[in-house]
Amino acid sequence: MQASNRLRSIFRVKGLRKAELNFILITIIPAVIFYAVLRYYPLATSFYMSLHDWQLMRDHQFFIGLKNYFTILSDRTFLRAIQNTVLFAFTTSIITTILGLLVAITMNPIRRGGSVVRLIYFLPNITAGVGIFVVWRWLYHPQIGFFNQILRLIGEQRINFLGSPQWALKSIIIMAVWGAVGYYAIILVAALRNIPAMYYEAAIVDGGNGFQIARYITIPLISPVLTFVFITSLIGSFNVFMPVYILTRGGPLDSTQVIAYQIYVYAFQRLWMGMASAMAFVLFVMVMTLTVVQLRLRKSDEESLA
Amino acid sequence: MGIKTNSEKFFSVVRSRSVVKPGLKLWIWLSKANILGWFLLLIGGVMMVFPFIWMISTSFKPAPETVAFPPTILPKQWTWSNYLDAFNRIDIPRLYLNTAFITIVRLIITLYTSLLLGYVFAKFQFWGRNVLFIIILATMIIPFEVYMIPLYVMMVDFKLGNTYMALALPTLFSAYCIFMVRQFMYSIPSELVDAARIDGAGEFTIFHQIVIPLAQPVMVTLGAFLFMWNWHDFLWPLIILTDSTKYVFSVGLATFLGENLNSYGVLMAGSTLATLPILIVFLTLQKYVIGGIALSGMK
Repeated sequence: MQASNRLRSIFRVKGLRKAELNFILITIIPAVIFYAVLRYYPLATSFYMSLHDWQLMRDHQFFIGLKNYFTILSDRTFLRAIQNTVLFAFTTSIITTILGLLVAITMNPIRRGGSVVRLIYFLPNITAGVGIFVVWRWLYHPQIGFFNQILRLIGEQRINFLGSPQWALKSIIIMAVWGAVGYYAIILVAALRNIPAMYYEAAIVDGGNGFQIARYITIPLISPVLTFVFITSLIGSFNVFMPVYILTRGGPLDSTQVIAYQIYVYAFQRLWMGMASAMAFVLFVMVMTLTVVQLRLRKSDEESLA
Repeated sequence: MGIKTNSEKFFSVVRSRSVVKPGLKLWIWLSKANILGWFLLLIGGVMMVFPFIWMISTSFKPAPETVAFPPTILPKQWTWSNYLDAFNRIDIPRLYLNTAFITIVRLIITLYTSLLLGYVFAKFQFWGRNVLFIIILATMIIPFEVYMIPLYVMMVDFKLGNTYMALALPTLFSAYCIFMVRQFMYSIPSELVDAARIDGAGEFTIFHQIVIPLAQPVMVTLGAFLFMWNWHDFLWPLIILTDSTKYVFSVGLATFLGENLNSYGVLMAGSTLATLPILIVFLTLQKYVIGGIALSGMK
């Protein structure tokens, strides 16, 4: 009782009645417990585990300092995974942003039937799950997949999309772009519709042509949203897991090995959880860096507008 | 949608000018008639939809036709045999029931907690509110892969491995949803809440009888999102569920794929069945989903 009174006196702000105070405490406390126990505590534990030779089903875990980090950062497969993750994330995001902008620009003027067009472009994003990735696996089949049937039909050599090191990552990128374009196009259409008409009017009065209008008005004005789209896509792509798990399992010859998949393999197949946690922390640092960059960019945007 | 779009405003300006450069004239004509636009969108649209057509079409083809050359877009001979096969080899009704159950339980809980917290963060003043809000929002940037290992160890330590409890626990709250609800709550006049308070209504009564009914639009949008996220959820169920009778659809299908790499007719039937609920939900609620997406790019 004493403690709860003290708690109330800390939280008391002028004009807050007892009933409201109780309501706030009842709603906030479960949330605080949830975020402490199921987010921040595991995050800290993850770092703690990364400093140990930590294996599941063992009573004592051995502290080994930064050794896990040295081991993984000199492991060829993991370095390959980092390289592939960065390559995947950047390529996917660049292509998605450019294609998304093109789709948005063509989609924007359409009034009648616009919702149907948006629906169709958004379909891949909403349905992207195990089911659809299995379909892509079938489309990419080395002999009888649809793409290879078409290549055969036009007399080209078959391509072993998922089975050859040159093609496997590209194939996954194509699928990822397919799944993401519609989503970002919708965000960009909303941004395009926010540009005030007076800018266009001024450009017409000054005799600007269509290309110039796109170059000097449309693109600069939606560039904050373009950056947002690019970095959001980048952050989202850094923990790519499901496509790799369903399509290639990291192969062939580690050509589609990515960080998230390596974490899964080390933690839940080899049960070397210490090393897997170190990998998770490497991923965390990369994603954090990107997030900080995004926040900085957003801040400088706001300053330049003000 | 009575407001003119920018391009419409733009073209009305252009039309009022007597002298326009020829190049611009062509561009205007193309844009106005939208022939080029429609053509490009048509090609893109076909690429977007094709995997679905191929999935459904393959699922209705008899086995020899799935590998036939040249490929047929629609089955020459329609058959249900892939679906019968799928029902025989995968426990489809159980996967549906499991996934629907866990998806809906998680959806309801997350929606309720998000509404509650979004409302509290938007409409109440209390010590530490903004700091707490930022601490909650910051969790959005932690990739799941980073904390899933300790989370798994925790669940195993609490003897929760292979339970739906463990599956649902980490998503009882959603920072993204709390944020979206909070934004929405600013549009609800505080006077409504205050009036009810003066009439002597309790805080939870106010929340349940006034705030929740007003929050219908954001509930539908977030409900659709949560349904899709939970239905697609893969990595966490893959780790935590070890008993195949507890599998959700995504894990069940992936496991079947692992064992039957080349029965594509059956796999496509399975994929169609796995995707169908999402398609139904999306087509029913598309207005809200797309509206919600467009909002997320705004500041």
